[in-house]
Amino acid sequence: MSRQRSMEKILASEYVSIGELVRLTGCRYSTLKFYTEEGILPFEQEGENLTRRFPREEAVARLEEIQSLKQQGVCIPDIKQKLAGS
Amino acid sequence: METFTFAQNFALIALNAQDSLHMPTVKKIAVRCMAAAAILECYMDHGFVMQGEQLTFDRTHLNRSGLPQHQRAVLECILGKKASVQNTLPHFLEQVAHFSSRKLKTIERSFTDYLKAHDVLEEIPNLLGCDMNYVTAEVSMREYRSDESLYARLTEGLRAEILEDGAVTDEMLLMLWLLRESSCLFDLFSEEEVHQVASRMNEIYYENALAKQLFVVEIHNSWEFFAKNFLKAKKQTFTTPVGIGVNFSFPFLERSQSIFIDVEAWFEGKENRLHDVTARLEKYGHHYTILREGTVPLIKIDNILYEAVPTIFQSKVPVQGMRLRRYPQAILK
Repeated sequence: MSRQRSMEKILASEYVSIGELVRLTGCRYSTLKFYTEEGILPFEQEGENLTRRFPREEAVARLEEIQSLKQQGVCIPDIKQKLAGS
Repeated sequence: METFTFAQNFALIALNAQDSLHMPTVKKIAVRCMAAAAILECYMDHGFVMQGEQLTFDRTHLNRSGLPQHQRAVLECILGKKASVQNTLPHFLEQVAHFSSRKLKTIERSFTDYLKAHDVLEEIPNLLGCDMNYVTAEVSMREYRSDESLYARLTEGLRAEILEDGAVTDEMLLMLWLLRESSCLFDLFSEEEVHQVASRMNEIYYENALAKQLFVVEIHNSWEFFAKNFLKAKKQTFTTPVGIGVNFSFPFLERSQSIFIDVEAWFEGKENRLHDVTARLEKYGHHYTILREGTVPLIKIDNILYEAVPTIFQSKVPVQGMRLRRYPQAILK
């Protein structure tokens, strides 16, 4: 067991857990899980349990991109296509 | 982004939507758990002198600079007139079940003063004040509202860490126990998720020494716990696939779960009905977001989800209106 990482440490680290990504972005857990399962949020798996970890800068930038597209009225299947093409 | 301590984070979850002027049973349970959170925070910050399992706390430690006000308030309640106290962690925690209402009020204020000063907790008119009976009787009630963005980060972060595979931090382990003791697990997790949480807690119990010490401790006052669980059992008994029916049928049993807002005219369309509801919410200073429109709209009001169901209030003259009823947060995708 370990102590929870402070926000400074999270902001300085290369990879973050899904809980830390929620704390960083304020997105709902179920939303992040959905994006991960749809393959539009980059992640790696590690350890025996294949725990998901997210490249912090890339994941935050991708979430901002998704949110901006959603605000423009683009639906998720189209966002998937756009991101796959980029 | 400003960050808060473990106990303050728990207080932001526990105090949201609680009556700010009085000390009803549900709030007593929440404040007792906030006191336990302050003890655990002190334990994690090495605020006790440890000799094996025995923890000692001395009155002189209260003069330590940088001791948060909420920790000071709780430790003063434990010390009473003694110069020092020695006990195991479970025994320190069990003491909060015997705190008087006066002590609980002091502890509540030690948390709320700080959180209000940092603009993450505010007092707003109670949502029940929007109910037709309260509006016409001009009854004024107040409740706490935690900062919406911070509340979402805390609760969603907790859900993510516990429902996802991987290591659980000490803070999450303690938070789970506090949620169990304050009987708030159902507020954050759906029924199905609560089973997942329970099996996760079992795993943690066998793997972690702190969990072994902590999970067997019960800090609730039996009568208070019975009163809160009676309301929960009543709700569960009458839960139907379309919602929680008993609060709809018998709102007098738990008023805060079912708020009736009268509409302007008979046979209004769904848009006009919703407009009347939002106008009432705005008038009383509530923050709301409409998440779903239609005949039964879903509205997030001050961090809590409500369904607005068209209904008729039966009195001498039937009154048409919308009844707001609590909607489990975890169900929202």
